[in-house]
Amino acid sequence: MSRAGLKDFIGRFAESRSAVVSLAVSITFVACAIFAPLLAPTDPYDLTQLQLSDALKPTGSKRMLPGEEIRANMWVEGGSASVEPVSPAKTRLAFLTEPCAPNCLSVIVRPEDVRLASLQIRNLPAGVTVEGAKKHPIQPWWTVDTPQGSKVRLISSAPLPASFTFLAIAKSMEQETDFIFRLGTDGFGRDMLSAILYGIRISVFVGLVAAGVAMVFGTGLGLLSAWRGGVTDAIIMRAVDFMLGLPALLVGLAILAVLGNGVSKVVLAIVIVQWSYYARTARSFALSELGKEYVEAAQCLRLSPTRIMLRHVLPNCMPQIIVLFTLNIAAAISLESSLSFLGVGLPLTRPSLGMLIASGYEFIFSHKYWISIYPGVVLLVMIVAMNLLGDRLRDLNNPRLDR
Amino acid sequence: MNEMIFEAKGLSRSFTVGGSPIREFANHFLRDRQPTVLRAVDNVSLTLREGETLGVVGESGCGKSTLARMIAGILPASSGERCFRGEAYDSFLARKRDALKIQMVFQDPLSSLNPRLRVGEIVGEAAVLHRLVPRSKAKDYVVDILARVGLPADSINRYPHQFSGGQRQRVGIARALAVKPHMLICDEAVAALDVSVQAQIINLLMDIKRDSGLAMIFISHDLGVIRHLCDRVAVMYLGRIVELAETKQLFASPTHPYTRMLLDGMPKISLQRRRFMPIQGEIPSPLHPPLGCHFHPRCQIATEHCSRVRPELRQIAPGHVHACLNIECRSALGEM
Ligand SMILES: Nc1ncnc2c1ncn2[C@@H]1O[C@H](COP(=O)(O)OP(=O)(O)OP(=O)(O)O)[C@@H](O)[C@H]1O
Ligand code: SF4
Ligand SMILES: [Mg+2]
Repeated sequence: MSRAGLKDFIGRFAESRSAVVSLAVSITFVACAIFAPLLAPTDPYDLTQLQLSDALKPTGSKRMLPGEEIRANMWVEGGSASVEPVSPAKTRLAFLTEPCAPNCLSVIVRPEDVRLASLQIRNLPAGVTVEGAKKHPIQPWWTVDTPQGSKVRLISSAPLPASFTFLAIAKSMEQETDFIFRLGTDGFGRDMLSAILYGIRISVFVGLVAAGVAMVFGTGLGLLSAWRGGVTDAIIMRAVDFMLGLPALLVGLAILAVLGNGVSKVVLAIVIVQWSYYARTARSFALSELGKEYVEAAQCLRLSPTRIMLRHVLPNCMPQIIVLFTLNIAAAISLESSLSFLGVGLPLTRPSLGMLIASGYEFIFSHKYWISIYPGVVLLVMIVAMNLLGDRLRDLNNPRLDR
Repeated sequence: MNEMIFEAKGLSRSFTVGGSPIREFANHFLRDRQPTVLRAVDNVSLTLREGETLGVVGESGCGKSTLARMIAGILPASSGERCFRGEAYDSFLARKRDALKIQMVFQDPLSSLNPRLRVGEIVGEAAVLHRLVPRSKAKDYVVDILARVGLPADSINRYPHQFSGGQRQRVGIARALAVKPHMLICDEAVAALDVSVQAQIINLLMDIKRDSGLAMIFISHDLGVIRHLCDRVAVMYLGRIVELAETKQLFASPTHPYTRMLLDGMPKISLQRRRFMPIQGEIPSPLHPPLGCHFHPRCQIATEHCSRVRPELRQIAPGHVHACLNIECRSALGEM
């Protein structure tokens, strides 16, 4: 198209406000898809980051750091104690002891800012107890809940034994972090915002690739059909009729039921469903182009059939095919989402929008609406925008429908 | 006399219309077969000499374009022989570079140009692909050709829709000239243009012909244009040639009743706009052509004989043939 033609085309496109908005929305979605790793606050594919304590949190909740636990054996000998951690877990907590008044020993947890949920002392020698502690009804265990200043005092009415051992177990409280789950979390504690962004990425990727492969494949067959005519044409067009007669979702389900799930298999299923649209469109427009005199001129110039079809006929059919492509991206996305929703699409570890909607489905009756609703709204907006865009392009291509 | 450049013997072309392959198959078994075969060109023989211009006239649908396409080698013939400089078309067309020697100019200046290509590519594409010019020199070459047809050099970067009808037809002519043809077929090349523009294009074609000695087949509705341009004229009716003679002779003393009707319908005085008027009587459908002489339902001197016997082309004077059963020679005309 010439520059003036392009300008005119853009001008006519812009006459429809909804088309401009849907173009903007579509571009936003594609940008979301491309930049999802930069935009998403967390990486929803990193399973090690997930913690069950975050699961099913509503919109706006903060991420909690789970409490830590430390156990240590302590040897007290002549007033000084040595600490030997039992389970050298990764924790910043540490014990130390400090003599207080006579017949008294403080067990302190450092660092100072830590807030303990409980501190338990086990296996003290006879006569020694823990100040303000609850004793286990049977075991020689003393527990202090939320000890003041993260410390407890071992006291005895008699002087403390010269040497004794005990086991100390400290549990710190859950801690709030600054990280906010803007759109809540799903059943695995995944941040919904990140999951949706990555879901858009997968959906857009699958939609583009599947519709693109179907376009190349279907258009090729359509051109072949138009050029060869006769038996080739009849065979290809009967196959097209056959495919068009079957419901897309059913075909997709059947194919994936055989192949199993995965991105490439979903793409394959969508291509098998969609190639026929392109074949039919490409054939009919190629036939009308083949009837024009410039094709005869090209034959007269003894150009090869391949060149005539690809260089002369195809570019003249391209506008219609691109319109179909736009509409079919939306169809591919919704087909992929439907398949994922039905559980035969993409794997759960890399959820697409449809998968997210499905994963929230079981919680929707316990008022945990956000897991299904947000991806659903995003999917809806995306598909509506792409359909409006495709419709507008189709109208522009068909002067009779325009205005 | 010059050498023969093109010769057609008994050239025919039929189309199957409205019939699916299944219908055709069924026809083998059915009693009342539908006539699904349309004989667009029926047993046409003609010759063209180097440098000569042959005109073809006839009403719409008489098979002129079909004949042109067969001569250009872009439509296979149902039967008959075609030769270019004595060589049969099968082997001639297989050599692509030689096949370029026959080119065609089309009727519709817009649809005959690919709307998505710039004029530079439309004109230069084939010459470069067939290595008539190296790619590096293609631009200069195209500018030269465009200058020959009277288009400015900056046309090469423009698209067909940015030109007027006459300019588009010039582009179409440039495209044909760019592959150095020896024979040019103009299928109603001026029919879609305004009268003033028609004259320009006809002058252009005549200049080209004078400069390069092209042989030309000029198809037209317009008897005035034919008379102006052509050395010999063939008159077609429903797929058959009914009369063929030198231009002067044909216009001075037409013999076939159909030719006479055409010429009678032609305004005598004005030089412009000499299109023939519709002649009385329906044009029969080419699907159901009348038996015998195709023209007999409209012929004023038809006899009962005419509806049974197909008239063959007969020579009635040197270089003058016609297909009529009742008119034996030119002297018989006085009786009409
Ligand atoms: N591809 C085709 N399939 C079927 N019928 C055809 C085909 N091409 C031409 N015909 C028929 O053959 C007959 C001759 O057509 P053709 O185009 O050669 O006529 P023409 O003399 O060029 O007419 P015009 O002056 O209108 O261009 C017409 O009846 C037409 O319908
Ligand atoms: S053959 Fe008979 S019908 Fe045909 S043109 Fe001659 S006189 Fe007329
Ligand atoms: Mg024609």
